[in-house]
Amino acid sequence: MSEMKDFNSATHPDWCPGCGDFGLLAAMKMAFAGLGLNPHEVMTVSGIGCSSNLPGFINTYGMHTLHGRALPIAQGFKLSNHKMNIVAVGGDGDGYGIGVGHLVHAMRRNVDMTYLVMNNSIYGLTTGQTSPTSGFGMKTKSTPFGNPEVPLNPLTLALGSGCGFVARAYTGHTKRLVEIIQAAIKHQGFALVDTFSPCVTFNLINTHQYFKDNVKDINQEGHDTTDLAAAWKQASREDVITTGIFYQKVRSCYEETEEDTLAEPLMSHKLGITSEQTQKLCAEFI
Amino acid sequence: MNQVKDNIIVRIAGAAGDGIASAGEVFGRICARSGLHVMAYNAYQSAIRGGHVWLQLNVGSRKTLSHGEAPEVAILLNRTSPALHIPMMKKGGVVFYNSSQIQEDLSKMRDDVTCYGIPFKEIFTEAGVEAVMANTFLIGCVVGLLGLDANIGLEFIRDRFKKKGEQVIALNNRVFQGGIDWVKKNAKPMEVHLKGDGKRRMFLTGNHAFGMGLLAHGLKFYAAYPMSPSTGVLHYLATKARSHKLVIKQTEDEIAAVNFIIGAAHAGVRTATATSGGGFSLMVEGVGLAGMMEEPIVIINVQRGGPSTGIPTKQEQGDLNMIIGASQGDFPRIVLAPKDTEDAFYTAGRALNLAEKYQTPVLILSDLFLSEHFQTCDAFERLLPIERGKLIDHTEGGYKRFLITEDGVSPRLVPGAPKGMYCSPSDEHDEVGNVISDVLAGLPESLDIRNKMHPKRMKKLDMARREDIKLPTLTGPKNAELTLLGWGSTYDAIEEACEYLRQEGIETNHIHFTDVYPLPNEAVREMLESCKEIVAVENNFSSQFTRLLRAETGFDVKRMVNRFDGEPFTGEDIFNRVKKELAYV
Ligand SMILES: Cc1ncc(C[n+]2csc(CCOP(=O)(O)OP(=O)(O)O)c2C)c(N)n1
Ligand code: SF4
Ligand SMILES: [Mg+2]
Repeated sequence: MSEMKDFNSATHPDWCPGCGDFGLLAAMKMAFAGLGLNPHEVMTVSGIGCSSNLPGFINTYGMHTLHGRALPIAQGFKLSNHKMNIVAVGGDGDGYGIGVGHLVHAMRRNVDMTYLVMNNSIYGLTTGQTSPTSGFGMKTKSTPFGNPEVPLNPLTLALGSGCGFVARAYTGHTKRLVEIIQAAIKHQGFALVDTFSPCVTFNLINTHQYFKDNVKDINQEGHDTTDLAAAWKQASREDVITTGIFYQKVRSCYEETEEDTLAEPLMSHKLGITSEQTQKLCAEFI
Repeated sequence: MNQVKDNIIVRIAGAAGDGIASAGEVFGRICARSGLHVMAYNAYQSAIRGGHVWLQLNVGSRKTLSHGEAPEVAILLNRTSPALHIPMMKKGGVVFYNSSQIQEDLSKMRDDVTCYGIPFKEIFTEAGVEAVMANTFLIGCVVGLLGLDANIGLEFIRDRFKKKGEQVIALNNRVFQGGIDWVKKNAKPMEVHLKGDGKRRMFLTGNHAFGMGLLAHGLKFYAAYPMSPSTGVLHYLATKARSHKLVIKQTEDEIAAVNFIIGAAHAGVRTATATSGGGFSLMVEGVGLAGMMEEPIVIINVQRGGPSTGIPTKQEQGDLNMIIGASQGDFPRIVLAPKDTEDAFYTAGRALNLAEKYQTPVLILSDLFLSEHFQTCDAFERLLPIERGKLIDHTEGGYKRFLITEDGVSPRLVPGAPKGMYCSPSDEHDEVGNVISDVLAGLPESLDIRNKMHPKRMKKLDMARREDIKLPTLTGPKNAELTLLGWGSTYDAIEEACEYLRQEGIETNHIHFTDVYPLPNEAVREMLESCKEIVAVENNFSSQFTRLLRAETGFDVKRMVNRFDGEPFTGEDIFNRVKKELAYV
């Protein structure tokens, strides 16, 4: 059993006051405590970005790695110690830009883990360039005349890549965010939660007020989360900004295909082989 | 050279898809079971059907040191082969071919080479005999010509077709025996004395040995993306995943592969990957991450001809510069370049140990030649002890992942222990793992941390030099007038060249490096200074190792022999090039 404060780290976040990432950090602690997880049972893995600094601000095991590479590291860790709960975190640049190849394959592969993306539609740490989710025409430091590319839709990307849990939340709506994180952790398989996490310094369009005024939770109007076509439709709506759990389907996760090998976590296997085994291996070449 | 001739060079040539690899393996394994030594080399243009391929096996009573140059016996399998290979044959050579398939008369091509065209279809008319069995027949011919024990061949065929049932075994044995009988009746015996020593040897590639070496020394997790000539390791280990409870993962790319194994290493699992230059280029950022986060990973980089896609099915030792300099900043790395198949097996085990001892990347440099050529090797009987360094699984609290210690290595806690939570960052950090870049940036405290942590990591190299790095080997007479210097897979070929040079009256010895970084600089310098004349032999354009030696030891090797046309050295080839370089004769 644990309490939210057990997850407090000695390091205070260096995010700008008002940064949306504070909301996710708090919600993670609440979600973990609510699920009865202990700090040592969680591994938080991130890439690089303002958002990716999060593992240093939470008292769990953590890895703060390379820009875009949180997912392969997290999967390698999970397959080696699948008794731990793995939560990967990071930004939109990290997950949907430089790391998007890994994301697509992680969703197909379906290792049992949770991925929380702090999507602020901007590159925060590098002081405000366009990101894969910046709106068309958005002016940023690297697109002073307006972003000429259309934004990527992480939800339809996930739905099209075989992701078994697809959700979105706004980090200012703590209670709902906590529920969604808990559902994502409980989901058996890879779970993607895209969160609107405003950058108060470099994105003056997608602000807290903007999301407060525009988001709509689809689960409150009876959306069927097992209906892929309905999920796709809700994820592509343009009249409002939809949030909630869009799609959930449990299929066998990657670890189950390795059931025999992973009866015990890989990290606790006995190492080395016997001399009979060595002989047998050699005999194959004689 | 008037000793009894105790080796023979056999070539099998044809189109990709003609079953050359399989025929070569059958012949090689029969020789290996006969207690002989074999060194084989596969020259192919394309791994898929169509291109021209040949395989050359140097079979001997003593260890054969290269695949040799001109073939003495050849099996030719398709119609383009005669024109390509008969001119290359050694005087007095013998050629076998299936005249049901190659209908030209080859006897006119050279009067100093005997060509036996055998109409396989006419000899074997019984039902069930397929055209591909001509290969087995021709191997029978060579086994007969060389006077090898027919029973060992029959036994091998029995083992190989065990799963296909008695009928198939009997048929193949009849065809094989048919070849032996045909030669007895129709061919002049070959003047060669091949005598086995009673040992039944393995016949395997460096990639097999790497895979087996990793497996035998505690590997549990392997991730890779296919790339020639490294893929053999993945293929080998994949077949062992179930029986040895391994996780073997083909990832979406090499960036993922290296990061998967970093995750696995962090969890306390022995792990490795293999790739070739292009894939290693993609892994470079991960190598630095492992250096910074002090993760024990092993990467096998199997060199092929570069740059870029280069000559992808060809040989080169051209990646040393990249490996030594890979990734930004300074961090400790260990680079090992095994010299032969047996060494590949032990180097894999040693690399896993060193990675955990030093908690840093260990990079193995192989190449197409070492990884893909088949060689006989005594069965591995000895395994290295598995040493896990400062790995711990428990703490009472106050744990510091990056604790500054005398030797630079900190106790490494497997995540999951109740009181040990810590975060490993890619940013510079203090002993606990707090990053200095943001919160502390610019404060005097952060300079202080940097000034402690950077040397802490780099110190590991001193211990490696002291405790683990092997000095180069010196073979041959001590104060020889000529020293050949090499590294990695060229060992045997250089040894062979030394023999030839000595036979010419040039007293030659051989200094060979398998541990290429870090170098024990002083000791190496002394060794080199005591030599009279050194020629560095490298399978690359710019003498990359020679340059490293100069940078590390200040010693300047002035004479070099370089081969960069995509072929591996043979002793004869080095011999000729060295003589030219020194303008002897
Ligand atoms: C390989 C590499 N390229 C570029 C960078 C520089 N970089 C650091 S963070 C970042 C973008 C961060 O954006 P995002 O992931 O959205 O995180 P945010 O700061 O917005 O939370 C970039 C480009 C890097 N660290 N590594
Ligand atoms: S720059 Fe933006 S994303 Fe980064 S901490 Fe400040 S508000 Fe948050
Ligand atoms: Mg961002």
